[in-house]
Amino acid sequence: MVKSVPGWVRALATVLAVVVGIYMLLPIIVVAISSINSERFLSFPPKGLSLEWYQLVLTTDTYLQPFLTSLWIGLLITAIAVVVGTAASIALTRFQIPGSQAILSFLMAPIIVPSIILGIALLAFLSVYADGASITGIIIGHIVLAIPYVVRTVSGVLLQQDRFTEEAARTMGARWWQRYLLVLLPMCKSGIFAGAFFAFNISFDDAVVALFLRSPSVETLPLAIYGRLEFSPDPSVAAVSTLMVLVTVLVLVGFERTLGLGKVMA
Amino acid sequence: MADLVISGLRKEFGSSVALSEITLDVASGTFMSLLGPSGCGKSTLLRCIAGLETVTRGDIFIGNENVTALPPEKRRLGMMFQSYALFPHMTVLENVRFPLRMAGEGSKAEQLERAKAALERVQMGHLAARKPTQLSGGQQQRVALARAIVSQPRILLLDEPLSNLDARLREDMQIELLELHRELGLTTVFVTHDQDEAMSLSDLVVLMNVGRVQQVGKPEEIYGTPKTVFAADFLGAANLLPAVTIAPGAAQLAGGHEIRVPAGEFPAGSDVVIGLRQEDLRLNTEGDDNSVPVEVVAPVFRGAEVQYVVSYGEQRIRLIAGKRGPIIPAGPARLSWRTADAFVLPPA
Repeated sequence: MVKSVPGWVRALATVLAVVVGIYMLLPIIVVAISSINSERFLSFPPKGLSLEWYQLVLTTDTYLQPFLTSLWIGLLITAIAVVVGTAASIALTRFQIPGSQAILSFLMAPIIVPSIILGIALLAFLSVYADGASITGIIIGHIVLAIPYVVRTVSGVLLQQDRFTEEAARTMGARWWQRYLLVLLPMCKSGIFAGAFFAFNISFDDAVVALFLRSPSVETLPLAIYGRLEFSPDPSVAAVSTLMVLVTVLVLVGFERTLGLGKVMA
Repeated sequence: MADLVISGLRKEFGSSVALSEITLDVASGTFMSLLGPSGCGKSTLLRCIAGLETVTRGDIFIGNENVTALPPEKRRLGMMFQSYALFPHMTVLENVRFPLRMAGEGSKAEQLERAKAALERVQMGHLAARKPTQLSGGQQQRVALARAIVSQPRILLLDEPLSNLDARLREDMQIELLELHRELGLTTVFVTHDQDEAMSLSDLVVLMNVGRVQQVGKPEEIYGTPKTVFAADFLGAANLLPAVTIAPGAAQLAGGHEIRVPAGEFPAGSDVVIGLRQEDLRLNTEGDDNSVPVEVVAPVFRGAEVQYVVSYGEQRIRLIAGKRGPIIPAGPARLSWRTADAFVLPPA
């Protein structure tokens, strides 16, 4: 099959891959370079070089406080989405549940619905039935957005596996909790890690839902960046963005080292 | 001593009946096959014995203990699944150790020792540190077998264990299964749809169709004296000729010829089916009790034997002749057989 691909097609594929790679990476590189600009305003190319913006980002509350807020919200979302998404995946793939297809579609729906609609809907809902925009609203919105990713990755892993393993464990004397702890959950592991990674990123990255549901007392990192960009666009925005990219890359490398990225993303 | 007793077992899935009136008595150390076409209920019966399905009615006894209400984890059986069901996240050695770990038998070191011994038993000792996904199908199967026998189960259950292997490996595994069975003396229940496999491996064959036991017996008994058209056809694909009994020991074939048959329980005038094994039929031979005119359609030379397809009226009849004697060409011939070789069966 591979043999029949002519040389010029392969060359074309390589060229395309390089072009797409540049297209995707170039903005990030521009941001990274802008972040070491010594000017007061965000501009490219930089006139002079300086790390002062990193100092500002890492030592003042401008970004540090929003970063900590985003961090704990992200970790909370990850924990909840992993528990709910894994439980749902196990239920939907390992048990015969009436309407399981409908339940799956329902859980996956937030991936299709634009998050701006989710934000508006949540705001309207919370304004009627609660005190309007609040951090609780942001958390609810992020949970809704994150669960489909965990369901997709965990049920994907489970569907690939032999579905008789739990029965086999039963015939070998494993009680229900042993079947979960020693067989089923370890089998889900790569899916759970991938889902957790997505869930955290969805929450940590989100500006749309947070924009609708922000309250004066709460500022997440994307909101802080957005606000800064609007009112005083200095290179600190580029510095914090570069740091976010770095953190994401580090997490990915960590996955690659421990689990193998191909397996996690499969 | 009966090791496995099943009495009056019935299994329903919703409104459909998967198994009914299953009664079996299996002596200790027996290698028993559950044989039948797909959908006959053989796998469901195996799952009932394992406890993976609850039974609707009836009882299952293992070594005089009524296990009908026991969950599978308390039945102390060894089961090998068609897909092998190895745990992908554990090494081969950990897989085989798992039943011992669950039973909490001995220290970890002892468990590992026994797991290693079981792996050696199936010649997989050298792959103990691998993950199951790194093994070939045949190797995975050996590991699954080691895992099923490691805890010296009361009964070994095998669900079509050879069906995923190619022909060559399958033959090797058959021989190994027999050796293992002789060595360990485990009462074994073996599910298969392959009649050759069932006949060559089993002490006892349970022939099943549409959720019922059709016939139970040693392979040579079922082959030699099938009690139903299904049994005659499924084991050895006998020729089946519709006929009517006309007197004790005599019948008239649908083609009009009168033949002699073993005297049986059918009164004169009954519709019956005459079963004839391919190897019991001869062409153009003197001295047989019965003969009818046929037309040879095609002789097929197969080296050790010659297979003929002949037509008797509308009916096609297959027979196998030894390689001695001339090959009979297409055209008219006489088909003959001994009365004692025919069996008279109730119509299906």
